Order: sequence, then C-alpha cells, then structure tokens
Amino acid sequence: MSIFEYNGSALVAMVGKNCFAIASDRRLGVQLQTIATDFQRVYKIHDKLYVGLSGLATDAQTLHQRLVFRHKLYQLREERDMKPETFASLVSALLYEKRFGPYFCQPVIAGLGDDDVPFICTMDCLGAKELAKDFVVSGTASESLYGACESMYKPNMEPDELFETISQALLASVDRDCLSGWGGYVLLVTPTEVQEKILKGRMD
Amino acid sequence: MKLDTTALDSSAALIPSIGGDGVFPAAPSFDLPSCDDFDGFQKNAKETLKHAKGTTTLAFIFKEGVIVAADSRASMGGYISSQSVKKIIEINPYMLGTMAGGAADCQFWHRNLGIKCRLHELANKRRISVTGASKLLANILFSYRGMGLSIGTMIAGWDEKGPGLYYVDSEGGRLKGNRFSVGSGSPYAYGVLDNGYRFDMSVEEAAELARRAIYHATFRDGASGGVVSVYHVGPDGWKKLSGDDVGELHYKYYPVQTTPVEQEMAEAPAA
Repeated sequence: MSIFEYNGSALVAMVGKNCFAIASDRRLGVQLQTIATDFQRVYKIHDKLYVGLSGLATDAQTLHQRLVFRHKLYQLREERDMKPETFASLVSALLYEKRFGPYFCQPVIAGLGDDDVPFICTMDCLGAKELAKDFVVSGTASESLYGACESMYKPNMEPDELFETISQALLASVDRDCLSGWGGYVLLVTPTEVQEKILKGRMD
Repeated sequence: MKLDTTALDSSAALIPSIGGDGVFPAAPSFDLPSCDDFDGFQKNAKETLKHAKGTTTLAFIFKEGVIVAADSRASMGGYISSQSVKKIIEINPYMLGTMAGGAADCQFWHRNLGIKCRLHELANKRRISVTGASKLLANILFSYRGMGLSIGTMIAGWDEKGPGLYYVDSEGGRLKGNRFSVGSGSPYAYGVLDNGYRFDMSVEEAAELARRAIYHATFRDGASGGVVSVYHVGPDGWKKLSGDDVGELHYKYYPVQTTPVEQEMAEAPAA
C-alpha cells in the first residue's frame, strides 16, 4: 500500500451560489485497522477560509500548524485576513520547498474571496495548483468522488441543495472505499453564516 | 510435478482403466504457462489480484451444534468491489464451508469438494464425515502448495459423531477445533467471541454472539463490511438464521444520542 493510503481519507469541496461547502470523512486508520472515527481533516484558517488536508495524517497535522503560523504572521504584518488566492499560492510554495522530501498531503482549499465570490482549489503533494469552478476532490476515494460529483453537480445551487449534493456525493463514494468513511463532516459557508454538520454514514 | 487434477474430471478417477495397473488412469492435467520463470510469474499473478484475505468469518461449536457467520465485502486493494458476496458456501445440506482469500479459488474448490462428498455417498452408501471431507480438501490444497492459491476456509457440519469443525488453508494446514475466526478482521472478532462464549447457549444467544463479533470486526477492519450472515448447523442440517446490514446494526447497537446544544446561534455581524 502506498504512503498516501496509510491513513485513508476523503475530501471534497463544491461551489454553489455565493457559498461553498467542504466535506471530509472522519476515519483515521492504520492501513486496514480503524483507530478513530472522529478525526478532523478540515481546518479553519479564518472565518472565510478553510483548508482540508488528505493523505498522511501526521504530515497533514504538521502542515496545518505551519500554515496557521504563516497566516498569523501575515495578519500581524498586514492587519487583515489573507485572500484565498494568496493562501493557495502560500500553500503551493510551502509544498514545493520540500520538493525532494515532500509532505505526503493533498490539500483542498476553499474560501470566499473579494465580494464573497467562492474560490476552491486543490494541489498535489508537490504544490501543483488546480483551480476549478465547480468541485475538487482528494484522498483515497478520489476516483469514486470524481464520478459522484460529476454526475450530481449542478452550477449555482442554493446552500441547502449544495449541502444535500455534497453529502450524497461523499457518502456514496466512501461506501466504495475500504480506507475512508465511518461518518462524514460537512462545512457550509455563506457570507453570513457557517454551518457544521456531522453525517450519519455506514460504519463499516 | 504431479498435481492432483481429479478436480478436472472427477468421474475418470473411479472408472478402472483396462491395462496398466488397472486403478489409476492417465490423469488430465491443468495447462501450465510456458515461461522462463514460472515461480516469478505465479508471484506476480498473485500480487496483481491482491487477495490478502480481506474478510471476517467465524465458526464455533456449542451445545446445539455449530454457528457459522461471515461478512459480505469483497475488496481489491483499497477498492470495494462488492458488498454482497456470499461467503458461506453450502457444500451439501448438512455441511457448510466459509470463504476467505481468493473468491474464485474458494468457490471452485468448495464445489469440487461437494462433488467428491456426493460421490463418496454414492460409493459407500453413507454420508461422509466432516473429518473425511476436510481431509479431502486439505490434501488437494497441499498438493497445490506454493502455486498461489489463496484459501482460508472452515468446514462445519454435523455427522454421526455430532457437530464437527475444521480449519483448512491453502498452505496445506488442517486443524480441528471448537472456535475459529479467519480473515483480516479475525482479531477483532476473536475479542468479542472469546469474551462471550459459553458452551451451553441457546441458538438465539449463540447467533447474537456471532452477529456481534462480525459486526465489531466490520467496524474496525477496513476490508470487512456489508451484511452479516449467520447460519446454524444442527442434526437436521444447516439453516440460515439471519442476514443483517452492518450499517443498520451499528445504529441499533449504538443509537445516536442528541447532544445538548453547546453554542446558541447568534446574530451575525453586518458583513
């Protein structure tokens, strides 16, 4: 099994009408054994910017700590929050710094930029950015997720419909993956509110 | 290398040939690939299929007979190829076999064992014992040792001596015992099974113990899941007791508890 499949993960982010949703599974495992069913993969950078980190869990935690550090420094110097596009470039630079000994993570970045325009992007473990207008996926269940999102996604969905779509796409995909699942976690962000929901899924 | 190929043409083994030593006809043989490195080829083929015995099966003997239970997930590496595989194979109306390892291997050789058991019945006018059936299978698997078969099976049945349970694997091992669990989820199943086992249980209690053990294995093991099937083998043969979806079993054993609200929603500041 490859190093990316050691802990198992599933991440997806989708864009709706003036809102975005980011969802992850909740399993932490060591190859086939499940250790925890409440593992957090989506982290907050500031009120309108979230990053999900799939892949090796230890690298995800370390990378998250480094990103929070860099963002806090930025806030002190610039006296404002980072824009999502800038943050994506920061993550890409941090990952490429380790080009010959990389972090085994694939980040998914989702945020509301200027004028509350939703922004999502994903990267490989070396920092190659992939901007998308509709959805991005990452993790061991990524192939199933691509299929599910491609068929279920519609542009300009309202928050409630977006929540339904992303939840169904996530649950359907992790049910085809041995290494991810055991519940789901969805974060829905609009300009005025943030909703966190835990999904009831198959626990096998 | 003389392989046991009676699987291919089982009737041929019983027809005495005229001439020669009169007992063993020239056996048909499996085609072998013509390549330089046969062992390396077999090793590559085995790794391509990624068997790894990802499953959980268990069986135990108790006062009322034998309980046999299994999950129903088939996985190829990390991908779940099916959630509805029949892993308890009905060899004949009073004997069951479980499947762990390569699905094709288990299905083929169990069916072959069923054929041999029936031939034994016809030739000897009485049913074959569980001891005899498991020995037949173990001898076949031993002769294919090292060729990449992947089978971890339990043969459970009821014969004249009462309930019988044997573990047979593709390395050629054969063990008699009272409690077995096979597959990647077996450590988790053993934990629950060994803790709750008593010899004098009723059929319902034993079935619930088996169900719970398989459920716990599906929770912890990534390669087990789907549906728990529980069978009981008694003096009149086997009977399927239940098939419960593990996703629903979880919420039955551990219902969702509504947590009190920690943070009330406040008015959002004007953007």
